[in-house]
Amino acid sequence: MSLLHLLILTPLTFAVAIALAPASRARTIATIGCLVPIGPMLVALFNFDYSRGDLLQFAANIDWIPQMGLSLGVGVDSVSLLLIALTILLGPICVIGSYSAIQDNHKVFYGWLTGLQAAMVGVFAATDLVGFYISFEFTLLPLYVLINLFGSSNRKRAATKFFLYTFTGSIIALAGLVYVVLHHRGIEGAWTFDIPTLASTAMKMSAGEQALVLLALMLGFAVKVPLFPVHTWLPLAHTEAPTAGSVILAGVLLKLGTYGIYRFVLGFVPEAVIAYAPLIAVLSIVGIIYAGLICWVQKDVKKLVAYSSVSHLGFCVLGLVALNNIGLTGSVLYMINHGLSTGALFLCIGMVYERFHTRSMDELGGLAGTMPIWSSFMVFFVMASVGLPGLNGFVSEFMCIIGTFQSSPAWVLEGRAGAAGGSLGPWFAFAAGFGVIVAAMYLLYMTGRVIWGTPKHPHGHGNGHEDGHGHTPPSDLNTREIGLLSVLAVGCLVLGLYPTPVIEAIEPSVERTLAPYQDLLEARAQALMLTEGEG
Amino acid sequence: MTMFAGTLPTLLAAADGPFIATGSAPQWVALMPGLPLLGAALCVLFACLNVKSKLPGYATVALLAGGFVTALAAFLQGPDGYGVATIFRWIHASIGADADASITANFGFYMDGLSMLWMLFVTGLATVIGLYSTEYVASDKGLGYCRFFFAFNLFVFSMASLVMADNLLLLFLGWEGVGLCSYLLIGYFYKKPEAVAAAKKAFIINRIGDLGLLMAIGATFVVFGTLEFRPLFEMIAQGVDGKGQAIGHTWVVVVIPLLLTAGAFGKSAQLFFYVWLPDAMEGPTPVSALIHAATMVTAGVYLIARMFPLYAADDAMVALTVVAWCGAITAFWAATIEFAQYDIKRIMGYSTISQLGFMFAGLGLLGTTGAVFHVFTHAFFKATLFLCCGAVMHGFGGQLSLRRLSGVMWMKGFGITGVCMFIGCLSLSGVPFTAGFFSKDMILAQAFATPDEMIGGATFIGLLLLLTATMTAYYTFRVFFRVFVGPRHFEPGEDDHGHDDGLGHDAHAHHHHNPTEEEEGDALHTGFHPHAPGWAMNGAMVLLAVGTILVASLYFVNKKEDHGWAGTMVRHSTAAYPSPGLAHGKDKPAATTVEPLPLGAPAPEHGQAGKPHAKAGTFLGQDPFKIMYYVSAVLGLIGILAAAWFHAPKGAWGLGIGNRELPSKVRMDAVAARFGPIPKWAENKWYVDELYHAIIVKPLLVLSHVFHAFDKLVIDGLVDLVGALPRWLGTLLRPSQSGVLHGYATGMVAGSAVLIVLVVLVAMWS
Repeated sequence: MSLLHLLILTPLTFAVAIALAPASRARTIATIGCLVPIGPMLVALFNFDYSRGDLLQFAANIDWIPQMGLSLGVGVDSVSLLLIALTILLGPICVIGSYSAIQDNHKVFYGWLTGLQAAMVGVFAATDLVGFYISFEFTLLPLYVLINLFGSSNRKRAATKFFLYTFTGSIIALAGLVYVVLHHRGIEGAWTFDIPTLASTAMKMSAGEQALVLLALMLGFAVKVPLFPVHTWLPLAHTEAPTAGSVILAGVLLKLGTYGIYRFVLGFVPEAVIAYAPLIAVLSIVGIIYAGLICWVQKDVKKLVAYSSVSHLGFCVLGLVALNNIGLTGSVLYMINHGLSTGALFLCIGMVYERFHTRSMDELGGLAGTMPIWSSFMVFFVMASVGLPGLNGFVSEFMCIIGTFQSSPAWVLEGRAGAAGGSLGPWFAFAAGFGVIVAAMYLLYMTGRVIWGTPKHPHGHGNGHEDGHGHTPPSDLNTREIGLLSVLAVGCLVLGLYPTPVIEAIEPSVERTLAPYQDLLEARAQALMLTEGEG
Repeated sequence: MTMFAGTLPTLLAAADGPFIATGSAPQWVALMPGLPLLGAALCVLFACLNVKSKLPGYATVALLAGGFVTALAAFLQGPDGYGVATIFRWIHASIGADADASITANFGFYMDGLSMLWMLFVTGLATVIGLYSTEYVASDKGLGYCRFFFAFNLFVFSMASLVMADNLLLLFLGWEGVGLCSYLLIGYFYKKPEAVAAAKKAFIINRIGDLGLLMAIGATFVVFGTLEFRPLFEMIAQGVDGKGQAIGHTWVVVVIPLLLTAGAFGKSAQLFFYVWLPDAMEGPTPVSALIHAATMVTAGVYLIARMFPLYAADDAMVALTVVAWCGAITAFWAATIEFAQYDIKRIMGYSTISQLGFMFAGLGLLGTTGAVFHVFTHAFFKATLFLCCGAVMHGFGGQLSLRRLSGVMWMKGFGITGVCMFIGCLSLSGVPFTAGFFSKDMILAQAFATPDEMIGGATFIGLLLLLTATMTAYYTFRVFFRVFVGPRHFEPGEDDHGHDDGLGHDAHAHHHHNPTEEEEGDALHTGFHPHAPGWAMNGAMVLLAVGTILVASLYFVNKKEDHGWAGTMVRHSTAAYPSPGLAHGKDKPAATTVEPLPLGAPAPEHGQAGKPHAKAGTFLGQDPFKIMYYVSAVLGLIGILAAAWFHAPKGAWGLGIGNRELPSKVRMDAVAARFGPIPKWAENKWYVDELYHAIIVKPLLVLSHVFHAFDKLVIDGLVDLVGALPRWLGTLLRPSQSGVLHGYATGMVAGSAVLIVLVVLVAMWS
């Protein structure tokens, strides 16, 4: 049993314990259950060999049905490790952040929330397709329950839509994965579900097969990301979900999609990726601007931030299809950064919602005067989200844009330093760059409405002390809330000012992912050069 | 980039080319951004401790003064201290194809004449204006006070990072950082809708320009393989890119500079972008003085001066011509608007836009020394003017209209304000022997010295700038003659800008929330007493006014060798350029130019060192740098006389020709009436804001709503339709079991099947 098994089993055990223990203990058990994995996580972080971040470390295998090649293998490269770290970090924040929001039904809420942790770690840790897919699908159920039972008014519809939409997506992805397995069986004559082995044979598929697999996988993972135009479940799910659900959803669950693209699409079908990269990039850019503009006309703060995720994740996917080191590294960094800053924004919004029972910008206003501590945090996280240099969002956004900029055969033709080919280029970067402007527009629009302006007193009650006119100013953040937000704020600041160690950790994994692309891209650039010469 | 390291000739102080600081600067230069950063942290601490005294303000001033002393110490080292000081590695990412190739951006500082000159006035003015602010926002003591000084400190940190950065990415950090602080400080009176809107507008318009800068950074990285200044400028000086290919006559020297220019114009409020700056006057006046007059808005000038070798590498000088024209047109355009403005702070705001236009014109006309010197002098006199306007505003309940104020200088306690204002006005108008006179002259003369063959239309630009200089003298003294001299009269504004927790001078909107405010409001209208500036504000104004007088003398420092102190500084920077008619070292032997290039290195193809310059132009057959003193003096005098005739009171302070007796009745009224609606149009800023709103904001808003509806109805509608289809099918096939989830499940299977068939079809087709 490896550290990773421990990281999966600990939350699972605690989830079972919550189910068995009396409801009054649920909260305490969940808190312990989310804090305990931090220990093994730190051990893993300190013992990981970052110079070989491309290798699967802490690997372990539990044979299941050896005849079928079925096993439950775990192991992490640097990218999986960092995403697991993000998951483990957000766990206690979600649990502790729900103390005041969740009044009853503790058992169900904390049980599923803790169980969800196990599933998410499982997705990132699995080195074998069956383990991956089981975990991947299992993440749906807890969130379905959380939204369905603990969400806002329209929660039933949101939960059903979330479940069915993403489930349909993952079934299609499964079709693609099954095809890869069958293909391997066809060539090698043996069953295996080991992801690295499958990757090496999948690359040998014909262009047509690769395109087929790419479409299936992309359809599945794009829904999860979500990429335009399969994004409409997200704003609904986010808006209706309880705060902890939104934090987990934005923080980790969306990253399952980008992680899937990184691991399976990029890892399995390079030829098809090169062919379809411009299409995926166009969808990403359309999503960045389209969703950004939609944010700008929202009245519900939470919906605004939800749509902003669609816009932001567009950068993330764009960086992936840039197919060069900077783009991919930036994209992986983006997954972490978005988890921190958007998770924090949802947390902030949840705190206001608890106090006012509204998220409407028409009813909120001037909170800088009434809740200065909350407002300071909110401005901070808004700026992290806007991509202010010095905070985390900038580094990854910049790298995604520069990666896109660099990803053009023209640079190879001109013999530019570090040019690796690719199918995007300056115009793609320029178009995506408008997303940076739009982000400022909608986030500052929200800040202007909610934080600045004349103080408004919505019908809510300031933590219960109502004087009959609803005029009691709400209390500002308490120590627990300040603590939670501070953890995330420190994360944003550290990753903004000193991202180099993380970048260097990601690089080996990215290099290995990109290795099969080098020759393909080079050959493609050569071909282009020939055409250019003839023309 | 590595292939050239070591083989490069040392370009130390080459008289005709850019100076590349190759040494290392002392680590303690990091105190310049470091101390304000500490100040910002302290302010957060003070806020947490709920400090209600002026402590945050005084702590800020002390730390900023420390920054200024550091700047002075660095300056006194002279060129020996120029070089790079690396503090820590910020971003480092490999770019793959080559093992060594990487994108590197350190927290590293590049010290040369240009950054030194900027840091001197940034830290100096920040200290003085910080002192002024301790009193200006005093009635806000507590959280608001901490918030103000937090942003103030963070601004100085960001500005220092911008100016001292040794790479484009750290420069961008500072660039965005000053934008953030500007946002926070414009919106300081956050309960006032105008202030919030202005803050947002400033940030977003800046972001549009920033996209240009970001693209320029991307292109620079792709072409040169580095973002760090030293290797970058070494390559540019050689005229080559990262792979050793010549960059002259390629898109590189046209596109990158134009993209940089977009960024510069956004930050420095030039053509097409300028609309945010007048609105930014909603911020507290010390903020307007420091950020929106003296320092931040000059960042665009700094950027172009810093990257000047890249601009000048283009033989056709396309980007520089664009800069020159846009600068001159902005200068003139803003001046026309000022003619019809009545808010003295807005007048100063437009005046800043106009003066920045002069600076850009100077850069575009190849006169880097003049442009940089004008940045320096302008920082002093414009900050003085703003602080004086602020004292008036502070004293008269936020009153800013020049129709409602008169003879302020003669009122008790406002004498110092008036005298300082007078000094500032003289300098802005370019009256002989003032700082503004010398710096503006250098730009004006350069316009005529630079031949039209180098910068297309340079002569016309010169004439436009001369006209604008005359207009500047007029509008400057229009304010002075109306507000500061003449019969004593005032109508107090609606609030006191100081008394505030984010309320601003918009007290009327919130009276019902705050009964004490209402009482104060009554007091304002019944027995209002002007609130004269105290020692901190007076002290700051005097310091700056004295500074304004003293900086004029810098023109005579090293006059022979370098055309003034600014010339010496510029000569030791990347902005060094042999301006036509002003070439550094034109009387010097050729030995001071660039050493011969090493064998095998490509010959420089750009307009830098070694290239014979086109013959300098003349003004009426004279050396423009000599005759311009007289021309501009006369034109400035005409402007002042016109202002006196139209606006000044009777008597000596009206130069004997004024006839104003009331605050709001002047000769100009009759003249303006003859122009029909034109003055009204100018007062409404030529409706540019409305135009932008109509052609950009409105359509975008409509589009956003369309997208929103489309998302809900079409995209999500299709999803729901697909979801409903199987239910419908299920009902059709097995009516008895048509549960919702059943239907969905059937649908999912059916849908997946359809999609997989589609996938197969696509696969076969491809």
